[in-house]
Amino acid sequence: MKRQVRIQNLGGARATILHRPHPTVQALTRQLIAIGLVVDVVWPELGPHALAADFIFFDADMGYDAQFPWAAGAAPMPMIALIGSEAPGRIEWSLQIGAHAQLLKPVGGSGTYSALLIARDGFDRQRALAAEIADLRRRLDARQTVVQAVALLASMGKSEAEAYGQLRQMAMAWRISFEDAALRVVAQHTSGGSDDQRSRG
Amino acid sequence: MKRRIDIGLLYSRSGSYKLIADASRAGALAAIAQINADANHPLHFVATERDPAGNADAYGPLCEEILRETSARHIVGCVTSLSRKEVIPSLEKLGGTLWYALPYEGFEASDHVVYTHACPNQHLLPLLDWAIPAHGVRAYLTGSNYIWGWEINRLARATIAAAGGVVLGERYLPIGAEDVGRMIDEIRATRPDFVLNSLVGASSYAFLHAYRALGLTDPHFRADRCPVLSCNLTECEFPPLGEAAEGLIAAGPYFHGGANGSDTGRFGSSHEAASHAAVMELARLLANKPGAETLPLAQLLAKAGGPVDPGTHHTTQPVIIAQVRGGAFHVIQHRGQLAGDPFLSRVQTSAPQPLRVVS
Repeated sequence: MKRQVRIQNLGGARATILHRPHPTVQALTRQLIAIGLVVDVVWPELGPHALAADFIFFDADMGYDAQFPWAAGAAPMPMIALIGSEAPGRIEWSLQIGAHAQLLKPVGGSGTYSALLIARDGFDRQRALAAEIADLRRRLDARQTVVQAVALLASMGKSEAEAYGQLRQMAMAWRISFEDAALRVVAQHTSGGSDDQRSRG
Repeated sequence: MKRRIDIGLLYSRSGSYKLIADASRAGALAAIAQINADANHPLHFVATERDPAGNADAYGPLCEEILRETSARHIVGCVTSLSRKEVIPSLEKLGGTLWYALPYEGFEASDHVVYTHACPNQHLLPLLDWAIPAHGVRAYLTGSNYIWGWEINRLARATIAAAGGVVLGERYLPIGAEDVGRMIDEIRATRPDFVLNSLVGASSYAFLHAYRALGLTDPHFRADRCPVLSCNLTECEFPPLGEAAEGLIAAGPYFHGGANGSDTGRFGSSHEAASHAAVMELARLLANKPGAETLPLAQLLAKAGGPVDPGTHHTTQPVIIAQVRGGAFHVIQHRGQLAGDPFLSRVQTSAPQPLRVVS
């Protein structure tokens, strides 16, 4: 997992600018250095060392998918679009490639700091949401296992409510999630069942 | 005694779009000569020219040079959208105005630019509106690999989809590239109803020559069955095309000798006509208003009337669809005058609204 830069302190963070040599790159570099970042400029491809960057600034006007060493939308760091042409096709592409914030060209003496903070925040939120969605999805996928585990426990003479309570107690005792406890109960029963069959044979 | 007014010209005299720049420059120079020769006109324009030689990064510094070294505040010039974007910071910094007289992809309304040629509601949308009922809804899109091609094709895709059509292929070439073989193969394989060509310069010439050759071997690919459409091709590019231009259908505000016979064919192309119109309108705005040449554009245009919309800085223009026959454009349809709508916010679409899912 990449190092998370504190919002209060961007000092030492690395920014990679993906843009052809241009006065906008000079102005942006000056602002980034003033804020305390370490800057490198590349064109036309990011290359593998970009994976170590904390921020990517990319040209939205001439950019294309193959410049990035990751799939569209899967950048492992905040990305800021440098927009000259506000044509909807270019904005659509910037969003698709994964812009978290934008700066309009020409870049002058301001705008970079807020773009950094907005991009960082957007990136963090997006990551946190993605993790939460993945967890919820995993739990949704475990619904059937939970029903099976409760049914198994209930088949030993408990009411459904008691079986549910017992599963919760097991999860707490094992210090695992409710869904993982259900998975363990089902797995134990399945392996036990096959043992029974073997002993009978 | 005529009032002397400095004016800047910023056109590339060499490079991949030289023919277009030459046509635009000729129109501007003709208007300057016309004003200067007119004893009754109160102005005398003194032109300062700079030549960026087709290098996009040279436009900004040269624009600045004109604004610093002369008293010119109005510059006529730029061909590509990229070069226009490059001069805007200089115009903002030094208080200049660019008169941009080329068709472009829209989605801009700079405080410092007047747009005197067509944007998509004046070229692409009418062209498709004509072509789809006339030829069909199955399209193949080509373009040069930069903003013009990308944006025209994006809008075409959306428009064709809304009309129930299908885009059979979409392929781009870097500016200057001439390897059109793959496009031609795909067109031959997919047999579209029309091809929208947003290639520029040498790529466009190579494509049109190859497409003509394809039409000679298979009648499906002739203009009556599967024409090539363009929003940017004008008479100024006929010389390198020759026979390959035959049958091509274009949308534009002006065609040589074209509009309902009302035009005497004074200009070679719409590029020439639009830059001429830009200089004439500037002359009209400055005439009898001493000192007006230093006014910010917004003040110059306020209550001035004329073709330039003070809100968008775009112009009202004729929308004409024409086809090349026997080496000249012939008007197919004149769709009247239309105001420029750069953000397509006033377009009335006839397409039915998609049904909304109500839950």
